[in-house]
Amino acid sequence: MKNVRIWFKKDFECRYISHLDLNRTMLRALHKSKIPIWHTEGFNPHPFATFPLPLSLGFRGVNECMDVRLEDDDYSFEEISKKLNACLPRGIRVFNVTEAVMKAGKVAFASFTIHLSLDNKPSGLICQQLNDLLEQDSILIEKKSKKGMKTVDIKPGIKSYSVTEKFDSACLEIVLSAGSSDNVNPNLIISALEQKTGAEYNVDVTRNDLYNSDMEPFR
Amino acid sequence: MVSKEVEKFLLKVQKPGRYVGGELNEVIKNKRDVEVRFAFCFPDTYEVGMSHLGMKILYSQFNSVPYIWCERVFAPWIDMEEEMVKRHIPLYALESGDPLSDFDFIGFTLQYELSFSNMLNMLKLGGVPIKTADRTDELKQIVVAGGPCACNPEPIAEFVDIFFIGEGEEVDLEVIELFRECKAQGKTKREFLRLCADIQGVYVPSLYDVDYNSDGTIKSFTPRDGAPAVIHKRVMTDMDSSYYPDNFVVPLVEIVHDRAVQEIFRGCIRGCRFCQAGFIYRPVREKSPDTINAQCHALCENTGYDEVSLSSLSSSDYSQIVPLLEKLTSWTSDEKVSISLPSLRVDGFTDEIMNKIKTVRKSGLTFAPEAGSQRMRDVINKNVQHDELMQTCATAFAGGWTTVKLYFMIGLPTETMDDVADIAHLGQAVVDTYYNTPNHAKGKSVRVTVSASSFVPKPFTPFQWEPQDDIPTLHEKQKHIIESIRSKKIQFNYHDADTSFLEAVFARGDRKLCRVMELACERGFHFDGWADCFSLQKWLALFEECGIDPAFYANRRRSFDEILPWDHIDYGVKKSFLISECQKAYENQTTPHCRLKCSNCGAAKYGRGVCFEKRQNLV
Repeated sequence: MKNVRIWFKKDFECRYISHLDLNRTMLRALHKSKIPIWHTEGFNPHPFATFPLPLSLGFRGVNECMDVRLEDDDYSFEEISKKLNACLPRGIRVFNVTEAVMKAGKVAFASFTIHLSLDNKPSGLICQQLNDLLEQDSILIEKKSKKGMKTVDIKPGIKSYSVTEKFDSACLEIVLSAGSSDNVNPNLIISALEQKTGAEYNVDVTRNDLYNSDMEPFR
Repeated sequence: MVSKEVEKFLLKVQKPGRYVGGELNEVIKNKRDVEVRFAFCFPDTYEVGMSHLGMKILYSQFNSVPYIWCERVFAPWIDMEEEMVKRHIPLYALESGDPLSDFDFIGFTLQYELSFSNMLNMLKLGGVPIKTADRTDELKQIVVAGGPCACNPEPIAEFVDIFFIGEGEEVDLEVIELFRECKAQGKTKREFLRLCADIQGVYVPSLYDVDYNSDGTIKSFTPRDGAPAVIHKRVMTDMDSSYYPDNFVVPLVEIVHDRAVQEIFRGCIRGCRFCQAGFIYRPVREKSPDTINAQCHALCENTGYDEVSLSSLSSSDYSQIVPLLEKLTSWTSDEKVSISLPSLRVDGFTDEIMNKIKTVRKSGLTFAPEAGSQRMRDVINKNVQHDELMQTCATAFAGGWTTVKLYFMIGLPTETMDDVADIAHLGQAVVDTYYNTPNHAKGKSVRVTVSASSFVPKPFTPFQWEPQDDIPTLHEKQKHIIESIRSKKIQFNYHDADTSFLEAVFARGDRKLCRVMELACERGFHFDGWADCFSLQKWLALFEECGIDPAFYANRRRSFDEILPWDHIDYGVKKSFLISECQKAYENQTTPHCRLKCSNCGAAKYGRGVCFEKRQNLV
């Protein structure tokens, strides 16, 4: 039995499916592919797969991963890529299969590219608005919790960022805390911005890479 | 495919995955390479429509023809509709992203009367004029419809160019082929429709005139231009050679029935007198176990589904159910596929079947006694005995089941308050059976769900002349059940009487209702099958505005010699047979099912199926 990490892109139509739907789609593809994956042993056995860090609905993911347990240690990684791609919708493409080097819980940061635009507004203005927001000492947002609304400062969760003006959008490259404890979803930054400026932006979010707490790429 | 314009707001709506296509096994063709573009429209949400077997069959079949490209269109949920209207984006097909108005054929499947408003709304959103008379005479935007509600097409006769009567696999392709010829010859839509009417199973409502008596009933129904006076349904005669897809589009988002579906037979031998499906799909025609087994296997291989559901009107009536389950279980457990067997009859749940289902997954058990008292079950010809139900439940409880769902109907012909109270008593008897079954699950309590829907009289059934109980009576009956339930182990659900009333109006309506439908579309009615949108008050206001009394359609007893709005359509079952069944109901008399005795309903004229099986008692 071997732990294997399957790397894939999630884009196009599949950008619009939730994590639960992704999970279902992956399980079905694994089932169809007949790759020797360990199945759960309950009354209703299904392939066992876990995702180190779920991706929000609407985001593109260019370096996403899923962990499975391979029953046949000698099964070729290339074969997994090939077979799985034949069973997946075109919006999900497997591009690499590796051993799971780091434990899933080691994910501490994630990097994103976010394009923001407004109809009939210059992108320079949006860059300015972004810089104004991100330069603040604290960025307070209202977050729903079990005990009603709660105010949270997301500024400490921003590791680094840069803003560049593009022809038709403002481009924000940002590294945010990620993982089970201090996760900052880029949607929070966008809603903080929308709250501040009162505008409703066209947003395009891509998650690029995951990192551990030492900012080493997650492997 | 989803356009840039749509992508701009997709993240603002609920479950955007419903509006993008791109699923595994979706069929993409080059529109320049095809001659006929068919938009298959399901007048409900993606999750409901994608669960529908008929759509899967026809989608695959049409696309197997090189010159046809069939695409899917679903009704956008209200939030999506609002955004699309605001931004002037027409309703589009998922495969190409092209608007509905671009298509040669716009086909709807009509599963439910309350989806009529969605059909018109979808045409409107797609930029297609809703009325036949307002659409172009060029050969495009031909609106066609089929499915069970096409058996009384009259309430929507002014909106649909062609109705397909009966089963679609052959007739649809014949019509498309005729379209292709007419297009090559430069014919108009009018000319094409007239030629279509000569194909068996095609009804072109614009070729018929209806006259009414002063009391509102139909005086005469007259064909024009030599169109046939009676429209005969189409049936597939050999199920083993009928087209069946080896592949389904596998949705990206969760749908209502998210599994492979395998049809095992069409029709039903039983003839329950309220059940439209039991009459319009006659005669019963089975697929062989080998065909079913091979088709199931191919479907699971091609979709990755780990569950396959055997579909029919009454699974346990499949004549070779045990050999079939044996064949299936020979590979399903190795491949970790489970089988589900819905539509089990009370008298069909045997130890053998139970053990076969249990090897894979323990799903809930649902039975439909339909009525509480034995007299009432005889009236509706359910042919289920009280002791059989108790025996079946005891079998299930001994097998480890602890929950049972029971479906009933209220408002059936001749029903009294005592019959209604017996629904609660039957639920109680099932609870008692649990505690009297010595080897029931240890330390667990039983849960019995009793659901009561309201009877809706439907065309082509022995009860097609019956009045529906009015809404206050139905409410009273619901209340009476609640008051008759003594146990906390019984959970009672009932279906909203308001929707059943509107369903009854449209199920047996005539062409005068077209005006109401048109107005409903103008006023933006949609999703009437959903509690979120349905309002009987709004509908009643429309009826009043049109000077129409809905009770004329729902609550009036019709005489056997009245011309019914659907009398020009022939589903194979003779009217004289329906009348005799109705009269037998009044005398609490049952009719044996097709395998016990032929009752000469008329369906034998198709020359196939159960009518020609060797009956056991004749051997």
